Amino acid sequence: METVSIEESYDQIVSFENVDYSHPNGTIALRNISFQLKPGELLAILGSNGAGKTTLVRHINGLLKATHGTVKVFGKDAKLSTAAKLSRKVGIVFQNPNNQLFEQSVKKEIQFALRNFGFMEALIEERTNWALKTFSLAEYADRPPMELSGGEKKRLCVALVLAWDPEILILDEPTVGQDSEQKENLVQIVKLLLSQKKTVILVTHDIEFVWPLQPRVILMSNGEIVADGECQETLSNESLMSKGSVLPPQLVEFSRLMGWSLPFPASTFEAKSLIEKATTRTRM
Amino acid sequence: MSLDRKMQWIAQGFLFVRGHTVVHRLDPRVRLITSLSLFSVALLSHSVEELSIIIAIVLTIAGIAKIIKRFAKSMLFTAVIALIAFALNLFFYPTSPHQAVVFGVRLFAVISSTSLFFLTSTPDELEHVMKWMRLPADFVMVFVIAVRFVPVLLLDALQIMDAQRSRGLEFDKGNIFQRMKNVIPVMVPLIAVALNRSLDLAEAMDSRAYGAAKKPTSLYHLALRRSDYAMLGIVLLGVVIGVYVSLYLILF
Repeated sequence: METVSIEESYDQIVSFENVDYSHPNGTIALRNISFQLKPGELLAILGSNGAGKTTLVRHINGLLKATHGTVKVFGKDAKLSTAAKLSRKVGIVFQNPNNQLFEQSVKKEIQFALRNFGFMEALIEERTNWALKTFSLAEYADRPPMELSGGEKKRLCVALVLAWDPEILILDEPTVGQDSEQKENLVQIVKLLLSQKKTVILVTHDIEFVWPLQPRVILMSNGEIVADGECQETLSNESLMSKGSVLPPQLVEFSRLMGWSLPFPASTFEAKSLIEKATTRTRM
Repeated sequence: MSLDRKMQWIAQGFLFVRGHTVVHRLDPRVRLITSLSLFSVALLSHSVEELSIIIAIVLTIAGIAKIIKRFAKSMLFTAVIALIAFALNLFFYPTSPHQAVVFGVRLFAVISSTSLFFLTSTPDELEHVMKWMRLPADFVMVFVIAVRFVPVLLLDALQIMDAQRSRGLEFDKGNIFQRMKNVIPVMVPLIAVALNRSLDLAEAMDSRAYGAAKKPTSLYHLALRRSDYAMLGIVLLGVVIGVYVSLYLILF
């Protein structure tokens, strides 16, 4: 069995080549998926329910094995490794926190994976404290995870994955059940990870969460990739958006109304400064 | 094969798949009577030949219902149980090898004939049959919900296993005690999710006035058709022959 090594350098950290996947009951979930991901890249996978987004990312840490085609992670065929081994470098934060929390305390919950991956005791303590502090969970350290609120559970799930410091982080519907403040925190976490040269994949319906981050966008529909490109071009293309059954971000709609051309503002702050510039020009 | 693949493979043998064959179109009460008749004749039977005929009839009906693959999966475990029963009878009970074989084959015939009904009936049909049997409404509801939630719980279990494997847990590693310990990270969230779901369901049922009427009306009513009467006739004839043969073999 091959183990994943990141000491080598790769142009493509993840590579899908003509990947098809069928569920055991015969339903085709992915058709002819091909794309490559560079180290340190931010990718958002968008699409309607049942488009195949979650199925696609589950191939990256080996939870699912392609029926046809090849998935390479860190240059090695994902089929040749187990999910437990690949997960050391590919962390997935699952949509439903209740599907993974089982320990008697928040602290032990964070330590569970670190022990599975064979971390030294001193490092386990250090990483646990870092996760508790970074995600404002220190006050709940000795409480059972089941007693936390929905938002806190979600935060814990992100914390427990980041505790083992994976090279690739996949966030599956990270904004579900999160209020606006927590969403903003998530944006900051994603930015922090990118500054550390981590590769981040967002699987989401929440286009307003994605737009300020301006990631590369893959739009999926019926198990196929219908668009793969820059955020500005993809999310402002009406025909592509309708193919992927996704509504454009409010700032794109607003920019169109204002008659602006690409690149559209990524935040309300940028939009405000554009309006101020235009107003100043009109006055002059 | 990994543990979750094994679970999926096994579960497919027990889950209902809506079919459109002659067998599925029969009234569920007729299917129940057919299964019970085969069950009863198998219990009475004392010859391997007669039991083999019963198993052949069960297999033929499963074939007509196009459920032979799923049926074979569920019967795999029945075969193991039958083998154990045969071995126990042979080695720990003062009986002849022939009687031990009869016991094992009879057990297989009894379980397979019962499975036939469950593999060809929807939870809705189960509900209708249980109501027709005048079982208490609450009991029927609890039973039907339990049956209906089996695939949902299975899906939950697979998702939880995926989540824990993504945290470095290897289910197939270690000795028997380690493997038993590995099940805890699956069982705890599964029970928690199931309890939460049951509470949500209870609230949803309360808010839709479950229990408000002492005798709730039913939208669907079971009615026998010609094909059902024909099948009942065949079953009755089969039972008479089966009982006659069984008694003849016992008495003479």
